[in-house]
Amino acid sequence: MLGISATTVVHSAGHGTAALWDAVAQNRTGLRRNDLAWCDLACWVGPVPAVDETTLPVGLRRWDCRSHRLAWLALEDATFRRAASTAIERHGAHRIGLVLGTSTSGIRSTEIAYAKRRETGQWPPDFDYRRSHAVEAVCRFSAEVLGVKGPMVTISTACSSSAKAFMTAQRWMDAGLIDAAIVGGVDSLCLSTLHGFDSLQLLSGDICRPFDAERNGISIGEAAGFVLLDRAPAVVSFVGGGESSDAWHMSAPHPEGQGAQDAMRAALAAAKLTASDIGYVNAHGTGTPANDRAEAAALRAVYGEHGVPVSSTKGVTGHTLGAAGIVEAIVTVQALEQQALPPSANLRTHEPTLALDLVVRPRTIRLRHAMSNNFGFGGSNCTLIFSRPD
Amino acid sequence: MNSLCFDLHAASVLAPGVASLSDLREACRRGKPFETTAPLVLPSPAALPANERRRASQVVRLTLACIEQVLQASPFPVDSLRSVFATDEGTGEICQQMLEVLATTRQVSPLLFPNSVLNAPSGYFSIAWHNRQSATLASLGLESFASGLLCAVTEAATTRQPVLLVSYDPAMTEPMDELLPVTQHTATAWILSAGRAIQDVPVLGSFALELEAQDSALPSSLPSWLPPPWVEHSSARALAALGLLEASPGAVFRLALGGQLLSIRRLDGVET
Repeated sequence: MLGISATTVVHSAGHGTAALWDAVAQNRTGLRRNDLAWCDLACWVGPVPAVDETTLPVGLRRWDCRSHRLAWLALEDATFRRAASTAIERHGAHRIGLVLGTSTSGIRSTEIAYAKRRETGQWPPDFDYRRSHAVEAVCRFSAEVLGVKGPMVTISTACSSSAKAFMTAQRWMDAGLIDAAIVGGVDSLCLSTLHGFDSLQLLSGDICRPFDAERNGISIGEAAGFVLLDRAPAVVSFVGGGESSDAWHMSAPHPEGQGAQDAMRAALAAAKLTASDIGYVNAHGTGTPANDRAEAAALRAVYGEHGVPVSSTKGVTGHTLGAAGIVEAIVTVQALEQQALPPSANLRTHEPTLALDLVVRPRTIRLRHAMSNNFGFGGSNCTLIFSRPD
Repeated sequence: MNSLCFDLHAASVLAPGVASLSDLREACRRGKPFETTAPLVLPSPAALPANERRRASQVVRLTLACIEQVLQASPFPVDSLRSVFATDEGTGEICQQMLEVLATTRQVSPLLFPNSVLNAPSGYFSIAWHNRQSATLASLGLESFASGLLCAVTEAATTRQPVLLVSYDPAMTEPMDELLPVTQHTATAWILSAGRAIQDVPVLGSFALELEAQDSALPSSLPSWLPPPWVEHSSARALAALGLLEASPGAVFRLALGGQLLSIRRLDGVET
């Protein structure tokens, strides 16, 4: 059991954990019709407010790229920084691990630089691959900002990346390598994912409507989020997680969500809980017909006739890909702190065959244990469980 | 910290000039770099279903061929293996192909995009061998092997399950190789366990992992028997670490990892 000592997040609906909870609890979306100057796809997007105008402090400017601006906006949070500094003072900087997830890192910088390289035959002189696009960059940048010196790694398993960060951090703590960990994830809007998902016909022309009968794809958002995990008691704790692989297809889920079932069951076993103990599931709920159908099948298999309240908050934040795990972990932690459930955003028409107990409007509830699901390309699945002791 | 001990049960190697662990050990014993001019021909991954085989990129072919080799010596059923894939850039030619399309037509192929995720090799591994265990992709630049090894050993120690660790670098194509000068494919796959939970299985060697302060020592240099250009390959550190199999008990190989050093110490002289 690892206490959630502090959280920070930036997302399309605002900056900060309170803004995230306010948006998801009120079903106030941060998504808008695509008006990005550099992408003309007819879709909806979730850019983080003020990211384009953000400048990194002079000492960090060599790290400048869209994903590090997102990370910086999140790491500016004074409460989180104080908690991180306290952990460093208590344990020592070398005893704080750093485990972050991303799917595309700072690839937006390389997209821009590559286009210039084609035109001029030269890479732009200010382009620094290692400090922007390289998968390691988000870890190195965050370590420099936070002053942590423990073991670090970037996890890149597509949309489960920052959920799996919790699992790696827990193993490092269990092995006695570290006393606390900062876990998180960052992914920015970029051409690679916008056009990539469009190529698979998974990008909705409408705002995404997870679990809706008329859902037809995802809306991509961007985000950065961090959580400080410590052994010290906290209001909400991370009590266990489960991981699995579909072994089915690179970009399509197993129809019955077999891998998702495995991850949920492994998480329940790790947390020493049964399905009936769980009071809420923040679903992966991307809004594609196949993903939501498979996850619904997996939820029915794990939770049975008893069911469980379920919602997807991607209609508010968009699908933040490698950052989805951390964003939705923070939503789930907030649900436990606030003793309330966020509704499934943008839901208009139920699809009865999904047979889910969907949260359709904000609901207060006595909540002790809650689950967050994240599944990704490559059939990578991760489920996290958070608890609020009596 | 207390040392984390692990047993290495099997290892494979695939790179220009070295087609197996025995080739690598022979080079280590000779102490001279091997010839790397012959191009590495990567087989079509027979373990994949035909419809997936045609999508397999060079890095998928590289990693699956390396895994196929290590599985032949693995004492564990493949479906029992958790996996950690450790790489620096990790997609090779796919990265350049995506960037080229995005800079021109923006008509991304639906076959290209799923291959552009870093965990494509782990996804194809799970499909090829019907492995439904956890698969993780760890990356930290030239320290990717160090971070992956730490992930793999802690995963083996805390889950008491054997772990497949694959450390690899696909060759970068022009002009991406100007940014990341990796011009040859290199890969190694290890099967390891930790916690002495798994008895009565063959062991190539036993090792202790330890995190040390960065000012306590320097990271080990790449040995002279590895081709010097591979200093830019994260997986060359894994190939160098396999040289410990030819070393005496007590020998240490040190890897940079974040703000610290990760030392791998040979514990015994077990040989199979």
